[in-house]
Amino acid sequence: MRRLVIIRLALAVPILLGVSIAAFILVRLLPGDFAQTAAGVTDVSAATLDLMRHNLGLDRPIWAQYLLWLGHALSGDLGTSFATRRPVTSEIFPRLAVTFELTLIAALMAMAMGVATGLASARLRGRADWAVRLWNGFILAIPNFVVATLIVLLAGLYFPQIGIFNYTPFFTAPIANIGSLLLPALSLALAVSVTVSENTRAAVLEIAAQDFVMVARAKGLRPRSVLWNYLVRNALTPVITVTGLRVASLLGGSILIETIFAIPGMGQYLFDSITSRDYPVIQAIVLVTAAIVVLVNVLVDIAYIRADARVEM
Amino acid sequence: MSDASALPVEVSAPRPAARRAGYWLVAVGGLMLAVMLIVTAFGPFIAPYNPAAISPDSLAGVSAQHWLGTDSIGRDVLSRLIIGGRTTLFITAVAVSLALAAGLVLGLVSGYMGGIVDQVVMRALDVVFAFPVFLLAIAVVAALGPTIPNLILTIAIVYTPILARVVRGPVLSVKRWDHVEAARSVGVSEFRLVVSHILPLVISPILVETSLTLANTIFTVTALSFLGLGPPPPDPNWGGMLAEARQFMELAPLTVIAPAAAIVFATLTFIVLANGLRDMLDVGGQR
Repeated sequence: MRRLVIIRLALAVPILLGVSIAAFILVRLLPGDFAQTAAGVTDVSAATLDLMRHNLGLDRPIWAQYLLWLGHALSGDLGTSFATRRPVTSEIFPRLAVTFELTLIAALMAMAMGVATGLASARLRGRADWAVRLWNGFILAIPNFVVATLIVLLAGLYFPQIGIFNYTPFFTAPIANIGSLLLPALSLALAVSVTVSENTRAAVLEIAAQDFVMVARAKGLRPRSVLWNYLVRNALTPVITVTGLRVASLLGGSILIETIFAIPGMGQYLFDSITSRDYPVIQAIVLVTAAIVVLVNVLVDIAYIRADARVEM
Repeated sequence: MSDASALPVEVSAPRPAARRAGYWLVAVGGLMLAVMLIVTAFGPFIAPYNPAAISPDSLAGVSAQHWLGTDSIGRDVLSRLIIGGRTTLFITAVAVSLALAAGLVLGLVSGYMGGIVDQVVMRALDVVFAFPVFLLAIAVVAALGPTIPNLILTIAIVYTPILARVVRGPVLSVKRWDHVEAARSVGVSEFRLVVSHILPLVISPILVETSLTLANTIFTVTALSFLGLGPPPPDPNWGGMLAEARQFMELAPLTVIAPAAAIVFATLTFIVLANGLRDMLDVGGQR
């Protein structure tokens, strides 16, 4: 077991290295650089631009820049933002926390909705099964930014008192903060709930066909107890797994949703830093997001193996 | 353990009812696709107005002249919808074809060769995989500039790993089957072995996944356009229309609802097709 965890974590290292190199090269392929965008339209002499580049370390060869950055990154320093001159880590983490909270609420919503519909279609079969399938197909066809736009439209037309764009920081008013994230999270959660629903259905059907469920029923346990203690409990493992695997798409989607609902998360920040060519910030956001995705995948793998004795390396 | 438990539980055996439902879904999806393709192909003849023509009649509601009203600078929404679909669907079709071609080659080669080649290809794809798809698309399009060729290239890059994995999986088991061994023993070349003895047996999951990828690509194309990273302005496109309309949506809800409905229709088409194909071809293993 311990060996397995070490192997999985070790496999993540080359992936993250690859991601960091790719991100490093990618940002430098952007047309123009920070010195140019910061100078703007004003007539700045080539000498001034060169001096700016020298101060930012952009005149060194790219491999030297990368090794320098990597050295700092390994000690937890992701560089200094060109634009604000503040450490990138202290700029990113408050925003990352907002995005993370949004993603978490969305994941919980998706699980609640998906387990409910999946369970209904597996247990009731027949018409309920078809209704759920139709609902899932339809929900899946509405992209999250379309859902979000329609929610904003409906709220604006019929419920102007809600105040859609009133994002409240968590530490000022926790309840209002969660309230302000509910609709954005809902628009993210819908599509993911379909994956959860389909997997819940498949898992419940598979487990219901197994001997221990039959035995439980035969020895006279109440149907409700069989349902919750035998079916749902065992079906939950694969459900948690697939929800975990969808974290990547939740994080990516939150960029769109944050833009629509004006939430100060990573989305807006990434956008601004791409526009101003703030290399360290772009690199850090890409790397941190990729690290979260890779880490969640490893955790999901490990949780899966722990929960299911049949899975071996 | 009773004797009955020794019998395999045939959960995934082809159920005639599911297969019949599959035919129906494929028929419905095919019909939706046909409607979309016809409207797209004959767009310039069907569209009642020039999609870029401005008129003083802005944010108008439904009328006999403008079936879906007009937008904030008086352009006909229906015409923009029809012409905008051409851009969106063209990018989608070309990008997915490229991703499918690359995914087929990578998946077949890496699944068939195995060993070091397989490891190298799969680890390289893992790097692309570790990026959230949409984040990667934003980064690449922003880097290269939002033009139609760049959008196509980006989306092809982003979806190649997914298709390559779907191809590789079944190839790993099919290449060990007896008929492949038999063909090899009578001296069939490796290329023919892969193309005519392995590929036909792994085609079903590829069809299903391609259909799903088309749906996802519609999402990515329209979402990028929504963020302002779509095809450049004079040509209309669905994502861009949705974004532009947000400013005045309470005055003219139709300007938002029309492109939203078009996006949903296109995505739904490919989801229906994918579900139908899955039932019809009895592709097991849900993702």
